[in-house]
Amino acid sequence: MTLVMVVDDDQDLAEMLGIVLTGAGIDVDLVSRGDEVLEVFRNNPPDLVLLDVMLPGLDGIEVCKLIRAESMVPIIMLTAKGDSHDVVRGLEAGADDYMVKPFKHPSELIARIRTRLRRTNADVSGLLTIGDLAIDVQAHQIMRAGKKIALTKLEFDLLVALAKEPGRVFTRDALLSEVWGYRHSTDTRLVNVHVQRLRSKIEHDPENPEIVVTIRGVGYKAGVMGGS
Amino acid sequence: MNRFIGRFRSSLTLKVIVSTVLLSFLVIYLTGSALNSQLSVGIKKVNIDSSRIEARSTIFSAEYKFLLAQGEKDAAVHKVVEDVISSATSLTSNESAREVIFIRSPGNTRVQDYEMTSNLVDPNSIPEKLRSKVRKNTSPTWSYVTIKYLGGQLVPGLAFGQTVKIPNAGQYEMYLVFSLANQNATLALIQRFLILTGSVLVILIALIVWLVVRQVVKPVREAALVATQFTAGDFSQRMRVTTRDEIATLGDAFNAMAQSLEKQIARLENLSRVQQRFVSDVSHELRTPLTTLRMASEVIFASRDSFDPAVARSTELLVAQLDRFERLLEDLLEVSRFDAEVAVIEAVEFDLVVLAQKCAADLSLVAKERSTELRIYSILESIMVKADIRRIERILRNLFSNAIDHAEEKPISVTIIASENDAAIGIRDYGPGLDESSLHRVFDRFWRADPSRARIRGGTGLGLSIALEDARLHNGELEAWGRPGKGAHFVLTLPRYAAENIESRLIKLQPDDYHE
Repeated sequence: MTLVMVVDDDQDLAEMLGIVLTGAGIDVDLVSRGDEVLEVFRNNPPDLVLLDVMLPGLDGIEVCKLIRAESMVPIIMLTAKGDSHDVVRGLEAGADDYMVKPFKHPSELIARIRTRLRRTNADVSGLLTIGDLAIDVQAHQIMRAGKKIALTKLEFDLLVALAKEPGRVFTRDALLSEVWGYRHSTDTRLVNVHVQRLRSKIEHDPENPEIVVTIRGVGYKAGVMGGS
Repeated sequence: MNRFIGRFRSSLTLKVIVSTVLLSFLVIYLTGSALNSQLSVGIKKVNIDSSRIEARSTIFSAEYKFLLAQGEKDAAVHKVVEDVISSATSLTSNESAREVIFIRSPGNTRVQDYEMTSNLVDPNSIPEKLRSKVRKNTSPTWSYVTIKYLGGQLVPGLAFGQTVKIPNAGQYEMYLVFSLANQNATLALIQRFLILTGSVLVILIALIVWLVVRQVVKPVREAALVATQFTAGDFSQRMRVTTRDEIATLGDAFNAMAQSLEKQIARLENLSRVQQRFVSDVSHELRTPLTTLRMASEVIFASRDSFDPAVARSTELLVAQLDRFERLLEDLLEVSRFDAEVAVIEAVEFDLVVLAQKCAADLSLVAKERSTELRIYSILESIMVKADIRRIERILRNLFSNAIDHAEEKPISVTIIASENDAAIGIRDYGPGLDESSLHRVFDRFWRADPSRARIRGGTGLGLSIALEDARLHNGELEAWGRPGKGAHFVLTLPRYAAENIESRLIKLQPDDYHE
């Protein structure tokens, strides 16, 4: 069974989320205070965290940073604010995705959770290379000169998506559909923030990226080391 | 010249100085001219009087000498004439030069010729008019003349003439001509002096006026500066009050007003902040229960098949109304963001044509339901713009939905045009149109063209107003045109690069297919 930790201070909403997720065959761990999250998380590690931004005890953004410091578990932020500021802060704190309350449909939430949990790229086998990185898709590992680099699942998926088709330029919309599973989204901030995070982990010089290259006005593509 | 007039109008100092200088110049000019003419008349009169006395005595002594020479020989007479000339022209140091001229009277046919002049003066210097006057009078007669020297020199002069009898030679006219060079020099000197004095006076007056006006204008100017800064939003500005005159009263009054305004503005600002904060908080607080509600309703909705028809229908209504409630909440929140002026642009580069096509495709089902369609015409296959794609998409959705709502089963044409700097989209429907009063209100919040029908459509009533705010946020413009029964035309003009300004209206607001 999949276990999702739902962190929300609104008891009714948390219960409702519990009902919906349980109905979809997902186990739920409810936490209502920000400062209790880490303890529960350590005792019973979930497969995914659904995290509200406004929390008593400890702010959702801070909680997100704390979880990210010790785990690569997928995190979806729940925000009551559509304000880009909050969204970007959450993404920069390490959240993989976000959902703005109220959600269009409960099914949308479940779809998002499933996207984050599914075993992607099962079709890809063997080793991929991008720049000076070796990607073992099956083992879910990235190596540079024999050393492992830790990436979140989303960052891994993002990198694999680019590495699978080295010559192709991906628009942000294409990446949103490929990696996040969005059909009609124009929110390119998700892509921008995660590309930044990914670069900070894999690039030699994140200011002058060579592995994930920006194609101005279009999107991104996998770079070729030593040339451009 | 125009610039000067402009400055003249705008500067009180300049205005006062110029008018004072003009007026004082006029006064000084008039008094100066009067003084000048009085002086010159006086000087000329004195000159004429003294010259007349001298002429009379000279001519008298000449007549006496000729009388004594009666009966002498020609040589002796000739000597007497020369003697008369030399004694008349001999000068004391400070006297003006004078000349003597003898001209034979007409009708004198004697052989002896004494037509003589002193210092090579041309006898023609004496005009015929004076000569005929002289012949009629027995006492000295005068006139202004120009003394012509045979060397070509011309000197203004005063001529006195009388007829005399020269022994053995008959009647001659004797003229004593006084040079006026000295007198004219004196007059010119006086004139120059008057002009100089007048000019200095005018300059001094201008200077004094400038000093005086400055004393008055400077505080006024300071007040204006403070008021300008005040207008620009710096409400802490106050006038300096250092004196105890009328200007100080102005300053005190101004400062009192400024303080009162500052207080009022602070109060209002605070009020509107509280108000906006409240709206935003309400919206946020509503979202959590709304989320719960939505999920609960969806769970119920999912199993509506097992309900009896009334409950099933109620479930449908519940879900639909929650949708509407949510849209309203979204729009309200967006409006409160605009009101709080916290809305910002997150510009990305994208293809406007593609976006328009996507929006049209998303709405194609709704359009079909209403038996209409969106037809997109673009002059270019691709129009890249840099703007906040979410906002532009929202504008297009709002405009397209609005057009679909009012299309009345006629197709809607969407025209996209771009120039180097701007991009424009025109949305033309052929529905019921808008009358004059509706046009003014079409972007107002919660305004509906037709209150009786609009409820069915489920719009929030905020769509167009948000679209307008979105357009303005991009420094763009959204305008509406409409005529009753002739449809409506909405034109969105945007700068192709966010934060620039639009240069022109690429699409005319009044559609080409409409003629007055």
